[in-house]
Amino acid sequence: MAETTAQGAQSPDTEGLLRDDSRLPRMPEPAAIVIFGASGDLTSRKLVPALYDLAASRRLPMEFAVVGISRTEMSHDEFRQKLREGLEEQRPGKISEDVWDSFSKGIFYLPGDSKEPDTYKELKDFLANLDEERGTSGNRVFYLSSSPSLFPPIVEQLGEVGMNVQEGGYSRLVIEKPFGSDLQSAQYLNQEIKRHFDESQIYRIDHYLGKETVQNILALRFANGIFEPVWNQHYVDHVQITVAESDGVGDRGAFYEEAGALRDIVQNHVMQVLCLTAMEPPVAFDADSVRAEKVKVLKAVRPIPEDEVDRYAVRGQYDSGWVWGEKVPGYREEEDVAEDSTTETYAALKLLVDNWRWAGVPFYIRSGKRLPKKSTEIAIQFKQTPHTPFVGTRNLEPNVLVIRVQPEEGVSLKIGAKVPGAGFEVSSVNMDLLYGAAFLEEAPDAYQRLLLDMMLGDPTLFIRSDEAEGAWAILQPVLDGWSENGGEIAQYPAGEWGPQEAEELLEQDGREWRRP
Amino acid sequence: MSETRQHPGGGAMSVEEIEHELGSLRADEEGQPGLRASVLNLVVVTDDDNADRVTDEVARLAGRYPSRAILLISDPDEPEPETGPALDVGLSVFCEARGGQESRVCAEQITVHAGGATAGHLESIAGPLLIPDLPVFLFYPHGFDPASPELAGMSRLADRVIVDSAASEQPGECIRAVAGMLREEESPAFGDLQWVALSPWRSLLANLFEPPERAGMLQEVERVELKHAPDGTCRALLLIGWLADSLGWTIRQATESSDGREIHFVRPDGEEVLVSVSESSEPEEYLRRIRLYAGDYSFQVSRHREQTDARTTVMHGDELVGERTVHLGALDLSVLVGEELRYRGRDTAYEGALRKAEEVLEQ
Repeated sequence: MAETTAQGAQSPDTEGLLRDDSRLPRMPEPAAIVIFGASGDLTSRKLVPALYDLAASRRLPMEFAVVGISRTEMSHDEFRQKLREGLEEQRPGKISEDVWDSFSKGIFYLPGDSKEPDTYKELKDFLANLDEERGTSGNRVFYLSSSPSLFPPIVEQLGEVGMNVQEGGYSRLVIEKPFGSDLQSAQYLNQEIKRHFDESQIYRIDHYLGKETVQNILALRFANGIFEPVWNQHYVDHVQITVAESDGVGDRGAFYEEAGALRDIVQNHVMQVLCLTAMEPPVAFDADSVRAEKVKVLKAVRPIPEDEVDRYAVRGQYDSGWVWGEKVPGYREEEDVAEDSTTETYAALKLLVDNWRWAGVPFYIRSGKRLPKKSTEIAIQFKQTPHTPFVGTRNLEPNVLVIRVQPEEGVSLKIGAKVPGAGFEVSSVNMDLLYGAAFLEEAPDAYQRLLLDMMLGDPTLFIRSDEAEGAWAILQPVLDGWSENGGEIAQYPAGEWGPQEAEELLEQDGREWRRP
Repeated sequence: MSETRQHPGGGAMSVEEIEHELGSLRADEEGQPGLRASVLNLVVVTDDDNADRVTDEVARLAGRYPSRAILLISDPDEPEPETGPALDVGLSVFCEARGGQESRVCAEQITVHAGGATAGHLESIAGPLLIPDLPVFLFYPHGFDPASPELAGMSRLADRVIVDSAASEQPGECIRAVAGMLREEESPAFGDLQWVALSPWRSLLANLFEPPERAGMLQEVERVELKHAPDGTCRALLLIGWLADSLGWTIRQATESSDGREIHFVRPDGEEVLVSVSESSEPEEYLRRIRLYAGDYSFQVSRHREQTDARTTVMHGDELVGERTVHLGALDLSVLVGEELRYRGRDTAYEGALRKAEEVLEQ
């Protein structure tokens, strides 16, 4: 097992002499970041652009290096060129030649098979050399961006050559989702990784948590005293969480066939949003406090009985239809998708959180592709007033607080207001607050935020192993139930809000879905 | 898409008329009200000569920090009319379409030309126009005079006073004035645009000494060379002041020459640090470079070919140990003011640097 504490050995007399100022951002320690699966899209589309932006904006130390590893034969220069092309696509017209020259001198590439022990011996020597030549101080980040099936062998080999050990520098492991494909595989993956890395060294990344907009859920709830008194079963009738996409699967058909909406979006993004909405206030905004409260929510979700999956869960698949004025094909007509595929592109669930705060309050969650528009929101629908004194007022609607995560981040509150004129007619009015209107600064990219947090050693916005497993545990009965049911899957026309069965999921409770 | 709407007439208006008219200006052609987003009140004090330029800059700022901006054009020499206070009010809103044109968000600007005796009581105009419950920033974009008649009343309204020390006629005049005010009890918090502009330089300098093997060298700095453009004197003084305050240097002597000044500091271990500050005749903006010497090492932050970039280097003798190029970032006035608006309360690092800079000036 690796040692858990081994940070840089800065002299206490001199540490932070010039940085002891809230206006100067914290700077990560010197480090080398090793990317496995470096020839893949994620490296050139997300990771390197985020690192470039961090370097250009002075958020990385001078002593920093990126080492890419994958099986493709490439020289350092060819790798740099490939990354440069990716950067140009992602940041058109925003690249400074001088900054790129300076940044790219710290980029290296090692061709190698991540299953072969020799690759790791070579890597270890290479990193030791970088410590000498670029001053990376023995700090290492291993970023697993390869196929998930390679995660266990990579971790195993890192452990074999001792690169998991934190002696004279830190050793951190970053794992991209998916964290397994079901509960059993997630447990296996965690077990294999923890044979070599301590949980404190592991950073499971769900980029959703890096979005400013998602973090604003916490700000809204815990920086504003007015919501807490009504944020419970006494006042809330139900909660709806929607993560809707208007896009289809595009060229990700092969991947999506294996995943589906439940694994691709619900297990991670939606469950995280559920946790942030339902969790108790943490005592501090630190990793242990926040993640402990999220895990409590996951544990409190009532297990869905395997023989009642259809009462609590609905799946659907998009058929051809019209989205934003364009005729689009059905899922089974997409590239790399089987003609008789039963993979769900839409999932809706009714979940109950059995704790003091939420007893009896259903959380309806849904996520789908080819829905009418891209939208992520949390709607808290409050109970009707117990009595209305306004004689003749009909259809008085309940208050709804909507937290919009995207596309236009903000909060809206539906309230009743008197219609001007004689009598006392009350009508619903939406009060809107657009966060973007108040803070017009450009929010950092989610990967920038998360990479920086990871290098600063702050895992608050990363997923702990029990969170990942907790989310799978909730969904496992649904996965099993759908697997047993075989070929039947409801179809919905592209451009509509899901299959009819999803409407019925709420109608059985006397409720209906909102139109985001 | 942004749009500016202005109240057609000028002249005197009551507070109620101003609020009513601003509400009308926020509405679109169909009478739909625009959202008002406000995170702060920004009160700007300027004069006739600079009013137009400041108006443009404040309008640019509204795009980044939606606020109620109250622009007070002070003209104490204007004769007092017999009919009442010499006030001339102008109103504008800056609206931006957001959310697919479905909603518009507006920031407001109230411009008041105050002449005669009224110019000495600007707080009586600004006070009633402030949006309640939001912080108040008082900004002097040009010279800052602690003896000006309106300052006491205005600074009582303000949570923070922002000055630009480089705007004073004499370099150092503003540094002395702010340092003096900060010594007073109940002084408001101050911010200086020249200090804000130093943040990237300070961060880059700090980073040079963060690797563990170099951290100790900070206490061994024996020589500093700083080169700046003629208009960068205040920035240079604050940067040296920051180093001296952070590293515990005490001033022993400072001498001025035709091309700059030499300052002798004493380190906590009793050794001397010689700081040479020189003016560059090249048309560069503010700071050109700073180089620190410690033993066989030298550490430099300098502007790169692109004026918006900076290059940092570490040398061991003649050997280049490390280098990189990064963006310094845009530092136009609206960006600098915007940065200053992010902070509340007193800035102890700034105040420490200011005190040291004042000590240098007093030598």
